[in-house]
Amino acid sequence: MKKRKPIHWGSVADTAITYLLLLAVGFVFFFPCLWLILASFSSSGSIYSFQGFFPSGYSVDSFRKLFTDTAMYDYPRWFGNSLFIATMSCIFGTMLTILTAYCMSRFRFKSRKALMKTTLVLGMFPSFMGMTAVYLLMTQFNFINNHWGLILIYTAGAPLGYMVQKGFFDSIPNTIDEAARLDGATNFQVFCKIHLPLSMPMIVYTALTSFTWPWSDYILPKLLLKTKDTWTVAVGLMSLGETEFSRFAAGSIFIAVPIVILYLCLAKHLISGNVAGAVKE
Amino acid sequence: MRELMKNANGRVTASMLVMGLGQLCYRQWGKGLMYLAVQIGYIFYLVTVGARDLFGFFTLGSVESNPWYGIEGDNSVIMLIMGVLAWIVTILYIAVYLSNIKDVYATQKRVAAGGRPARFREELQELLDGKFYKTVLFVPVVGVCVFNILPVVFMILVAFTNYGGEIVPPALVDWVGLENFRKILALGEFAPTFFKILGWNFLWALLSTAINYFGGLSLALLLNKKCVRGKAFWRAFPILAYAIPGFITLLGFKFMFSYGGPINHYITEAGRQAIGFLDLDAKWSARIIGLLVNAWISIPSSMLLATGILSNADQSQYEAARLDGAGAFQQFRYLTLPFVVFSTTPVLISQFIGNFNNFGIFYFLRGGLYIDGYFLASDTDLLINWLYNLSIDNNYYAIGAAISLIIFIITSLISLAVYVASPAYRQEETYR
Repeated sequence: MKKRKPIHWGSVADTAITYLLLLAVGFVFFFPCLWLILASFSSSGSIYSFQGFFPSGYSVDSFRKLFTDTAMYDYPRWFGNSLFIATMSCIFGTMLTILTAYCMSRFRFKSRKALMKTTLVLGMFPSFMGMTAVYLLMTQFNFINNHWGLILIYTAGAPLGYMVQKGFFDSIPNTIDEAARLDGATNFQVFCKIHLPLSMPMIVYTALTSFTWPWSDYILPKLLLKTKDTWTVAVGLMSLGETEFSRFAAGSIFIAVPIVILYLCLAKHLISGNVAGAVKE
Repeated sequence: MRELMKNANGRVTASMLVMGLGQLCYRQWGKGLMYLAVQIGYIFYLVTVGARDLFGFFTLGSVESNPWYGIEGDNSVIMLIMGVLAWIVTILYIAVYLSNIKDVYATQKRVAAGGRPARFREELQELLDGKFYKTVLFVPVVGVCVFNILPVVFMILVAFTNYGGEIVPPALVDWVGLENFRKILALGEFAPTFFKILGWNFLWALLSTAINYFGGLSLALLLNKKCVRGKAFWRAFPILAYAIPGFITLLGFKFMFSYGGPINHYITEAGRQAIGFLDLDAKWSARIIGLLVNAWISIPSSMLLATGILSNADQSQYEAARLDGAGAFQQFRYLTLPFVVFSTTPVLISQFIGNFNNFGIFYFLRGGLYIDGYFLASDTDLLINWLYNLSIDNNYYAIGAAISLIIFIITSLISLAVYVASPAYRQEETYR
């Protein structure tokens, strides 16, 4: 048996303060979420009938109304729209981003530096500076009120965020490639057979980020989707006022929960993904 | 190139005249026909719309519409954007044209050296091997050109026109040079608003970046302490905040601080007047709420970043420091801080710029308010919110575009300066 250590009052106090701080932090981050969750189960819809943070009565009515009372606010439809746009953009965007990052990391070609500088400069422009132009382009191509127009824009913009993934590919040693090349593999095969399996965590991370971006974007859909039945969840929820507060809360909870669970499962990858992006060339 | 001009044989010259002709002479049917198709396609494009678009770019239209006489007129804005598109198509065409000449010249050299022209299938295979990057990057480059570069170029050009306000199609738009910048910086209704917003914008970016950065760092250090059990559990709370889509958080907080919201409920319960935290006259309370809400949203991600970086820190240095009798604060001041600042300088820049252009916070908390003394803006609006109000809600396109250019100049200058002055740039090897 171990001998009992003498108690250091200093370190006990330190531990106590640490835990107090942790509790405070946990409270600060959790309480607003708890408030929304409680609100979604409130029996009356309006925010004015709440007793402070807590609703006066509880029921699952708002969830039921969310899916059945679709005359004014067609939540299931918005949900479907969002899901379609985000899934498609996620698939195409992830493919393009991973491939771009792979090329930028592994190949040395003439226009490489120029391309990298261009993406850097493009990133300096305010994000929706080109919004008017995109809108005009979309009217020219007849893509207003069309989900494919949005998917096209999200997919086209995705490869610009390749830096994190490039950092990841940079960390895979070149010797693996060289060994495979000696065995006669083409670059295409090297990518499919070696790098794809190795970069699974990075692909998951990319897919997650390129899913959540269209999933929670509101400016582009608001600009391009004019009719109510083409709206996405973000645009739809924004149109709800204070009297529909619990419906807003229920709708938010419903779309936030899957993402939150995904993120919690991927907490480890998030840390490493963030770091890969931080390390510059 | 000069060498090419001197040594070119008849077939290379043929390709210069008609794309793909030289390749066809070398019996490279597939490739030759593809080049030929590109040229025919481009000529077809020029004849149908391209030539008109290319010239439309300069004139921006000359026929004003007149419904009285049934004249349809020119739409200057469409002419401008399609003109830019036509120029991009032309540049891409020239690139293909040059590659066509280079290709046939390479074949000429190959044949002269005793080889035979490459077969079509070999070339296709080469696209999956040596030229794999060309195959892969083609789609992203075209996509970025059309949906990112084209809009940006268009807006840069719009900044030098009088598009917007009264002058929207069917009225004709014209080039006006630097007039818009003069308006913003020197005269009339725009200048006072611009400088007020600019000052607040800098203050906001500095404060919010500092709060988020040090908040995230201290949270990471707190979670990293040896005495903390169940790190994953404690870390889950900030990640929860990180994972919720931003617009939900922001609208939620807007409800929380609204007149009917819970905070005002407790204030009225205590017998006071309800406070309009985000109301028209709530200058500083709205600004502070904005800072706090932004901290709530952004601290988790900088915590994740700091956690990752701290896990790379060299533990033996801390051991040595402890042996030398350094206290916890000294360890933080002389070991942790320099290391973290060194590793995160690039991220710090991008966070600063992200905050400088943080559109969502005040758009959701206080969107659509116009306050006296400001031209189509409120006292919490950042430049990017003003840009949105002007160009998307109120049709001041040219002024909006000029403001985006000013934002671009500011952010790129800052990042350049910080980057050049940062330790990560000056002494890259310190921590390797």
